[in-house]
Amino acid sequence: MSWLPYAVAAWLFGIGLFGISTSRNYIHLIGCLSVCQSATYVLLLGIGYRWDAIAPIFYDHPPGTPAVDPVMQALVLTDIVVGATLTALLLVLTLQVYKRSGTLDPERLRPMRKNAGGGRVGAQQEPGAEAQL
Amino acid sequence: MPDWFSLGWIPSAVLPPLPVALPLAMCAALLATAHLLPGRWPDILASLTALAVAALCGLIAVRAADAPLVYWFGGWTPRAGMALGIGFSVDAASGWVAAFIGTLYAASFVFAWGFFEETHGHFQILMLLFLAAMVGFVFTRDLFNLFVWFEVMSVAAFALTAYHLDESALAGALNFTVTNSLAGFLMLGGIGLIYARAGTLDFEELARAVAHAGRDPVTAGAFCLIATALMIKAAVVPFQFWLADAHAVAPSPVSVIFSGAMVSLGLFGLAKLTAVVFTGSDQVRGAVSLFMIGAGSATALVGGLMAVLQRHLKRLLAFSTISHAGIMLLGIGALSQGGTGGLLLYLVGHGLVKGALFMVAGILLATRAGIDEIALRGLGRGIGPAGIAMALGGLLLCGLPLGLLDQGTRVLQGALLDGGHPFAVAATVVGAGLTGAAVLRAAGRIFLGLGQDPGDEAQAPSEAEREKANRPLWLMLAPCLILLVLNIATPEAGVARLATKAAPAFMHQGGSLGAGPSWLPWLSLTLALVLAAYALGRHRLPRWLSRPIRVTQSGPTRLLEQVHSGLIGDYVTWITVGSAILAGLLAAS
Amino acid sequence: MPDFGADIAAYGARINAIAPAERHVANMVSAINFDIRGLDTLGEEFMLLAAITGTVVLLRGSRGEAITDRAARLPGRPVLPRAEVVVLACRIAGPITALFGLYVVLHATVTPGGGFQGGVILASATLLIYLGEGYSGWRDSVRSRWLDAMEGGGALLFVLCGLAPMLVGGAFMENVLPLGTFRDLFSGGLMLVENLGVAAAVTGGFTQLFLEFMEETREPDQSDDPKGEDA
Repeated sequence: MSWLPYAVAAWLFGIGLFGISTSRNYIHLIGCLSVCQSATYVLLLGIGYRWDAIAPIFYDHPPGTPAVDPVMQALVLTDIVVGATLTALLLVLTLQVYKRSGTLDPERLRPMRKNAGGGRVGAQQEPGAEAQL
Repeated sequence: MPDWFSLGWIPSAVLPPLPVALPLAMCAALLATAHLLPGRWPDILASLTALAVAALCGLIAVRAADAPLVYWFGGWTPRAGMALGIGFSVDAASGWVAAFIGTLYAASFVFAWGFFEETHGHFQILMLLFLAAMVGFVFTRDLFNLFVWFEVMSVAAFALTAYHLDESALAGALNFTVTNSLAGFLMLGGIGLIYARAGTLDFEELARAVAHAGRDPVTAGAFCLIATALMIKAAVVPFQFWLADAHAVAPSPVSVIFSGAMVSLGLFGLAKLTAVVFTGSDQVRGAVSLFMIGAGSATALVGGLMAVLQRHLKRLLAFSTISHAGIMLLGIGALSQGGTGGLLLYLVGHGLVKGALFMVAGILLATRAGIDEIALRGLGRGIGPAGIAMALGGLLLCGLPLGLLDQGTRVLQGALLDGGHPFAVAATVVGAGLTGAAVLRAAGRIFLGLGQDPGDEAQAPSEAEREKANRPLWLMLAPCLILLVLNIATPEAGVARLATKAAPAFMHQGGSLGAGPSWLPWLSLTLALVLAAYALGRHRLPRWLSRPIRVTQSGPTRLLEQVHSGLIGDYVTWITVGSAILAGLLAAS
Repeated sequence: MPDFGADIAAYGARINAIAPAERHVANMVSAINFDIRGLDTLGEEFMLLAAITGTVVLLRGSRGEAITDRAARLPGRPVLPRAEVVVLACRIAGPITALFGLYVVLHATVTPGGGFQGGVILASATLLIYLGEGYSGWRDSVRSRWLDAMEGGGALLFVLCGLAPMLVGGAFMENVLPLGTFRDLFSGGLMLVENLGVAAAVTGGFTQLFLEFMEETREPDQSDDPKGEDA
């Protein structure tokens, strides 16, 4: 079963991606993004793990006791901060989007496509530009 | 030259951390004291810091001319052949790229003088962080440290994108944040995989481990994930979708940095990793050659076509950046000295020109309160110098044989021809021609009032937008012109001499830089002029000629516009597809 | 892939082997974060700073940059009286939480913990003031400018910890202070100072984050805010 942690990581990432692709609500989407990120936690900690080893803190155990990989733990710590910052920023953006458009549905929030498919901006302003010539 | 002036009294050994530490210290100090500082102080301090960073990086580049400067943080020098701490390794090319980035920031700070006055220095804080992260990204030789700077860059960029806080800006920033966060996770996954295989994070040791591992699914998987992440940042087809959304809505001083430096840094990172870390794996090299050449050509063409189809000026320039990113990616795909050397020259030249063009867009936003090419027709009269800058920028983009960008183009095309990729060369010619045509058309329409009959671009998405008009015109024009002059006036012979030494040091292997035929740039220039003339004079052509052209081009172009749906779900699906293709190529090669 | 749990990478094993002797610290993760790979943490700290600055810019943008130190009051919203039990519980739990946060911060080099974790706990302790004393009480005790100064000052301290050793001829962030004794509170030398900087920055930053999100719920034109909570 030595592949199980890696499989779990891959599965988490995949299901997170699926969630993001099909999401119709930004809050849900941010949650899915966190699921993707959990995949990286599982992967990194899985790589750094070692059976019958202690946490890499030599307070109760003398130095030299077999311990898990401290580098991976430090990387995960950084990863967690990344996750916190991204979630905070995304929530702010979502909050502001909701205030301005009253919706959280990505389908209705396409940047600059609000009135796509017509010559609106130009069509309205063209005569003005013409008059200046 | 007196000894003091040549800065010989500064030991090289202390230099590498300074260009990162200086802006970080400055932005922490700004944050702590922002409320006490009067008016223009954040502007002044930020501009000076950026200039100091540029100067320091230039000095580092000069000192690194013979051998890279290596610096170990915390005094943790490698022991028994094993790196313990984090190292910076600055070769001349990296140093010059960082110096260019510092210059671009200084220009952007001057351009944005007073523009963000009510934010208590928060804009400057974010930009300085962005700058420090870029320099760290360029200098580092530790894979995880690379990721940390990559993320700092992203986080600062996300916040800056949404600054305008209107619906489009927020939606664009959300798309940008989600796709680039995914890029970060992919990269971290890749780092985990390669650490599991190599047991180290230092570039040199990773390179040894990769060469030792030979054909190995874990290494290939790691490369697939890391390369995908960097290509998302670099806006390579099919990962390019976020870029147009984000660059089009970001404030213009920020767009200058995005297009001029951030996108190309993704390619810089990819080039460094390909050349330094993964060079020992034939499996990776085979897949890189196939994927980068294919994706690069596609990116150059798609970006160019999309640029021609736009009417929103910043969006137009954003697609042009995509096209040029594709051309640079071809340099990586060439897997040769010339390819990488050309990429580095092209990166700097393109950054200078594109930065200047975004500043012109900013000038229009501020002085004419608009960004829509069709709505602005003829309104540019009266700001002639901006028009000249824009036309010059357009000509330089499509190969006017002058300056750094042109030099990079020729070296790149030479490398592609040597490597036997004639189709890729054709893609560079057509891609550059298309983006040049788009910029020239917009310049002709806005500043000369030509082109009263809008073509397909009339159907493109656009939005009314304006920026604060609180700055004198000369203050905005000056940095724009300086960037163009820097591109044009850089002495070609000196750069060539520098590049022949710097490119091998960057790639850690020998080789030579050849230049492609000098008529190739003229070809794309001609193409651009013909296309721009057609777009501007369409209404004068006889109907029997213009109508069939319009009808045949409309279908495919609508399709392209529809693929760029603005939907985050679609973008993520494309990312999955793209990385699956890369994984397939890696498995097959 | 390596077999799960079979062995750890040479890099990690090497650090486990040398760090206790060379830096006199028991917590390897802290040794990596603040010393061996301290630059990563510096970047991480500034990533947090970028995110919080960005959050502040984006949230304030809509309601104007002029920050008041008084609590905004919504005209229609009733001020609910607080149960005495809640007030009492918060007044007891607040200082204890803050104390625990300080403990986690200070013991970074010996037991699990550190500036990041402790800073977040300290910041949540300030939230208990909100629960116990109400919004206006909270705003009275937490000032945005102090938070900025704390956040920026902490980050600045961290950078200076990197630059200062260069003045005495060391490398950036070289641990030049006396290292103390192994398993002692005062072990790790420069790491302790860096750790304090991080703790100040994280406390200030997160409290600022709470403040801005909370202020968002007070916006007058907002009747049906879907998610003002954040913690």
